Amino acid sequence: MTNDQSAPVSGSIMVVGGGIAGLTTALEAAEVGYEVYLVEKNPYLGGRVAQLNQYFPKLCPPTCGLEINFRRIKDNPRITVLTQAEVEKVDGAPGDYAVSVKVSPRYVNENCTLCGACAEACDMEISNEFNFGMDRSKGAYLPFEMAFPARYVISPQIIGTDDATKAKEACEYDAIDLEMEPKSLDLKVGSIVWATGWEPYDATRIDNLGFGQYDNIVTNMMLERMAAPNGPTKGQILRPSDDKAPESVAFVQCAGSRDENHLPYCSYICCMASLKQATYIRERYPEAEVYIFYIDMRAPGQRYEKFYNMIKADEKVFFVKGKVAEVSEDPSSRQVTVVAEDAVSGEKVRQTVDMVVLATGMQPTAANAKLSADLTMTEDGFIINDFDTGGMFAAGCANKPADVVSSNQNATGMALKAIQTLARK
Amino acid sequence: MADSYLVEPDVGFIEEVSRLGGADVKKCYQCATCAVACPISPDTKPYPRKEMIAASWGLKDRLINSGDIWLCHNCGDCSTKCPRGAKPGDVLAALRTAAVAEYATPKALAKMVSDPKKLPILLAIPAVIFLVVGLLLKMVGINWLNFAPTGDHLWGHSYINNYLVDIIMIPTFTGAIAVFALGLKRFISAIHENAVAEGKTDKTTIDPAGFVQALIKTVPTILKHDKFNECTDNADRATPHMMVLFGFIALFIVTGSFFVAEWIFHIEGPYRQINPVKWLGNLGGLALIIGGLILMKKRMGDEATTYWDWYLVGMVLALGITGMLTQLLRLGGAFGLMAIVYWIHIIFVWALFAYTPFSKLAHIVYRTVAMTYQEYSGRK
Repeated sequence: MTNDQSAPVSGSIMVVGGGIAGLTTALEAAEVGYEVYLVEKNPYLGGRVAQLNQYFPKLCPPTCGLEINFRRIKDNPRITVLTQAEVEKVDGAPGDYAVSVKVSPRYVNENCTLCGACAEACDMEISNEFNFGMDRSKGAYLPFEMAFPARYVISPQIIGTDDATKAKEACEYDAIDLEMEPKSLDLKVGSIVWATGWEPYDATRIDNLGFGQYDNIVTNMMLERMAAPNGPTKGQILRPSDDKAPESVAFVQCAGSRDENHLPYCSYICCMASLKQATYIRERYPEAEVYIFYIDMRAPGQRYEKFYNMIKADEKVFFVKGKVAEVSEDPSSRQVTVVAEDAVSGEKVRQTVDMVVLATGMQPTAANAKLSADLTMTEDGFIINDFDTGGMFAAGCANKPADVVSSNQNATGMALKAIQTLARK
Repeated sequence: MADSYLVEPDVGFIEEVSRLGGADVKKCYQCATCAVACPISPDTKPYPRKEMIAASWGLKDRLINSGDIWLCHNCGDCSTKCPRGAKPGDVLAALRTAAVAEYATPKALAKMVSDPKKLPILLAIPAVIFLVVGLLLKMVGINWLNFAPTGDHLWGHSYINNYLVDIIMIPTFTGAIAVFALGLKRFISAIHENAVAEGKTDKTTIDPAGFVQALIKTVPTILKHDKFNECTDNADRATPHMMVLFGFIALFIVTGSFFVAEWIFHIEGPYRQINPVKWLGNLGGLALIIGGLILMKKRMGDEATTYWDWYLVGMVLALGITGMLTQLLRLGGAFGLMAIVYWIHIIFVWALFAYTPFSKLAHIVYRTVAMTYQEYSGRK
C-alpha cells in the first residue's frame, strides 16, 4: 500500500458516452488518479438511465445512482466533462491517440442559475426527444430537473429567431451567449473507452405490430417516460388516444428482438423491463389487467427470478406463451386487439386491451451512427473488445445488451483495461 | 400435466424431413409467430407451430396422421415472418412429401418418384409396357402397334392404336384409383383419430352422408382457390395453379368424351377441328402449358423448390407441350416427327396416371379430403 494519491500517470483516458457505463468508467479511472475526458453528445449526462422511471428489480428511481455519480464527478478535478460533444476522428495507436472532438454550442454559460426565465420568455415549442416526442418544450430548456451539468440549453432550432433574443433579454445573469461557436478540440489520450450505449429499436419497422399506425400502441421506453414523475404525463399512465386510464394493458415481448428480420439477438433487458412496468400499471390501477405475451421469459439470476415470481403471483397479471404477430384496432373504442397462439393450450388468443406496450429491444448506437475509429464490430453494431490490440475498449451496451448492473461491472473492468494501457506504455 | 406422455423421437423421420427440404426445422424456437402469420390457419389448434415442434422431436405419427399439414397451401407467409429462418412453409411441404409415401402402396415406388436418379427408370416403364403388350398382341394377330406407319393421313390408329393405349391406360388409371382408395381409407381414419385426440373436433364418428355434404361444400372453395387467394407471399401462384387445375379438368372431360365416342358410339378419330370438345381440349392444353410455364418461372431461383415440386411442374409442361405438338405436327403433315412426339406424350400420360398417388400431384386427393374433413369437423 502506498499513500501516494497520484497514480503514475503517463497519459489520459477518454470515455465516449456519458451514460451509466461511461460515468462508471470515468469515475473508476479518475478516482484512482487518472485524467479523464468524458465526451457526451447530449447536453446532459445519464443517458438512457436518466429516462427511466425506476430501476429493476429494486424499483428505485434513477436519481438513486445518478445523483451520487454526478456528485463524484463534480468533486473530481481529474474529469473533464464535454457535453454536446462528438468524436470526429481518432488517429494513433494504443498509448498515443490523437482525438478530434467537436463541441456544439450550448449558448448558455456557467452563470446559469436554473431560474427558468429564458424558457418563460420563449414562445415557440419544439419536440421533446427526452420524452420521445410525447410532449414539447421551449427552445430554451433544461433537459430534466436533475440534469448535469445543471444548466439550461438553447436549442439550435431557435437560434436566429426572436425567441433567442427574448431568452437572452430575459436572463438576469448574463448566462446566455448567442455568439458561442462550435469548437474543435484536439486531445491526446492514451486509451479510449467507448460507452456509446444503445437506442430503442425503431418500432415503426416492425410492420405487423402497428406502432405508428395505432395511437394506443407505445414502446417500453415511452412507458418509462409516462410513468416517470418528470415525464410528459407527470407520472400518470394514460392511453395516448384519449388520456383514459387503461383498464387493460398488453405487453408484447421480443418486439424486434430475437428476430432475423430485425435484431437477431436477445436484448436482455426487455423481459425484466416489462415485469417492472407491470408493477407501474398495477400500482396505479388496482383493477387493471396486464397481459404479457412472450416467447421465453428471461429473468436471469436469483434476484431477477424472485422478481418474476413476485409478478407471477399477481392474479391480475396474465402470462401468455406466444409471440404477438398481428394487431388491429377498433376505430370507435380505439382498443387494440393482439393476436398470438398460446403455445401451452395450442389455441389462438385474441386479446383486446386499452393499451399495448411493445417491449422493443436495444440497438447499439454504433449500428446507426458510424463511429470514427478503427474498431471491430459485430454485424449488429456491437463493438468487439480486442484485448490483444488493446488501447480502445467498449463498455456497457456498446459491447453487448446489458442491464445497469452488468454495464457497471463491465465498465469497471474496462476502466482497468484503459489504465493498463497507460501503465504499460 | 394430466396428459403427459412419453415422447419417442423417430430420428430417422427427422432426417427424412430434412432431406425432403425441411432441414431448417431445427432453427425453430417455438415463438408461434407462424400460426398467427398464416392467413388460413384455424383458431382452434392452429398450425404450423405445433407441427414444427413435432417435426423437430421426430413425432412421425402426429404429423403423418394429421390433416393439418394438408390444410397448409404453402403461402409462405409464415416463412417470411419467421424470426429464425426456420421456414415452416418448407417444413410442412416436406411433411406432405413424407405423408404421400406413407399412404402409398407400394412405398418403394413412392421413394422412386421422389428420387431424381430414378426418373429414367420411371419413364422407361411405360415405354416397355407399350412395346411388350403391343408385341404380344401382334403375336396373336392383333396389329395395334405399327413401327412403320404409312399413308398420307397418319393417325394413331395406323401407329400406336387407340385400343392399345386404352387397354393399358384403363387398368393403370383403375390401379391408381385403387392405390388412392387404400391410402384414403387409412388417411381418413387417421386424421379423424388425430383430430379427436388433439381436440380439433367434437365429432366422434365419421358419418358418410355428412362427409359427402362437406365435400360438396368444399369443392367450390377449391375450384375458386378461395384459400390460396388468402395467401400473401405466394399469392401470385394462385392463378397459374388455377390454370393448371382447370386445364387438367378440361382434358379429363375431353379424354372421357372421346373414350365414350370411340368405345360406345364407335366414332373414330381424328375428330374435326371445329368439334367443341376439341376446342375444350385445346383450351385445356393451352392452360396447362401457360400455367406450367408461369409456375416454372415463379419457382426458378426459389430455393424452397425441391425435385418433388419440379417433378410436377415438369410433368405438367411435358404433357401439355407434347400433346399440343402432336396435334400441330399432324396438322402440319410432319408425320415422322409426330410419331416420336406422340410416343413421348403417351409415356407421360401413363406416368401421370400411374405415379399420381406417389407424387406431389397426390395433393389433389389428400388436400381435398383434409379440407373436406375440416369442413365436416366444424373446426374454425
